[in-house]
Amino acid sequence: MSRQRSIEKILASQFISIGELVRLTGCRYSTLKFYTEEGMLPFEQEEEKLTRRFPRVEAIDTIKEIQELKKQGHSIPEIKAKLNKGT
Amino acid sequence: MKEFSFAQNFSIIALNAQNSLHLTTAKIVSLRCMAAAVMLEKYLDKGFTKAGEVLTITTEDLQSAAIPTYQESVVKVILGKKETMSLTLPEYLRKVTKLSGKMLKEVEHGFAISLKEENAIEEIPALLGCDLEYVTAGISMREYRSQTDLYRRIAESLRAESLEEGNMTDEAILMLWLLRESGCLYDLFSKIELKRVAERMIEMLDSSALAKQIYPVIIHKSIETAVKNFLNMKKEVMSTPTGSGINFIFPLIERSQSVFIDTEEYFANKEDRLRDVIARLESQGHHYSVIRTGEVPLIKIDNVLYEAVPSAKQYPVPVHGVRLRKHPLSL
Repeated sequence: MSRQRSIEKILASQFISIGELVRLTGCRYSTLKFYTEEGMLPFEQEEEKLTRRFPRVEAIDTIKEIQELKKQGHSIPEIKAKLNKGT
Repeated sequence: MKEFSFAQNFSIIALNAQNSLHLTTAKIVSLRCMAAAVMLEKYLDKGFTKAGEVLTITTEDLQSAAIPTYQESVVKVILGKKETMSLTLPEYLRKVTKLSGKMLKEVEHGFAISLKEENAIEEIPALLGCDLEYVTAGISMREYRSQTDLYRRIAESLRAESLEEGNMTDEAILMLWLLRESGCLYDLFSKIELKRVAERMIEMLDSSALAKQIYPVIIHKSIETAVKNFLNMKKEVMSTPTGSGINFIFPLIERSQSVFIDTEEYFANKEDRLRDVIARLESQGHHYSVIRTGEVPLIKIDNVLYEAVPSAKQYPVPVHGVRLRKHPLSL
């Protein structure tokens, strides 16, 4: 049996799943999936069929940055360019 | 961030937008599944005395100070007059189909108390109260509304786990079963996503012992699910460029799906129509966000999506306005 991890345990982990990222940030799954597929969110995946693992701190910081840039009125291509410049 | 238990998480989804005053068919279906959710939660948390496949509960379990109100109410109605009960997990789950209306009221009461204490749900005037005829008649109806952020987090994390590749947790496996049995799957997944969910449930049947044990159990009654999903079927029958469903033409069939809000002016333009709808929603204390503007705006009201379709009602004097119609997410 594999149980769902508590928020406390998630917050102590270096890598988290997309479901846990949703629980922490309150973002919609489809939004995070879009960011991931657009290459805006960093993740690791051992094999194609295995779960994507997101570096918790980096992923949350990036989501906050994207949300802030969206509030400022930037489009997705502009946000992508800014994120790429930052890396 | 407050964390809720498995059964509470399910009830936050299942109670949203349900009539809080009357035992409607839709609520009966949800309450049965909420009782089943408690049994599953006790199983996950090792709350039964286990001997092989047989799980035992006794009245002594109710004496524990740590038992939450909602668990206590469910265990009481499951035990009935018996001191002790020993059944397998599927047998406990099937027991919920035998619960009477009075027992289900107790289950609802136990959940409602604990969720209201935590501000996870609240009772608000029902959306139907915004309808012209209800407003003018002064009829008060009430419904439950789950806290928006909490509802979204629970729904979206389940969607993420179900639609992504990789293993699923036991909670997600069981939540899908509860949603299937309560007819709530259509609230969370689109028609295309439902195909993926079905594939995942089949995958889990092969790979998870828990799914193998639980997924064959059926606790829904076909006639009740049919009543609950009647509106979905009606929507599939007819769709037009401005909206879909028989209610568009025959709104009297089911009023709760077709709320008419009158506008101040005849032939109001789209901005005025939206303004009047928002004013009515605000006056009745509903949470809303406008997802899409235009001729037929899309508005999220109390966690549910509605289209605001321009319409008119024929009285001795015709009245212009809009009809709020539940958005067919799964179509």
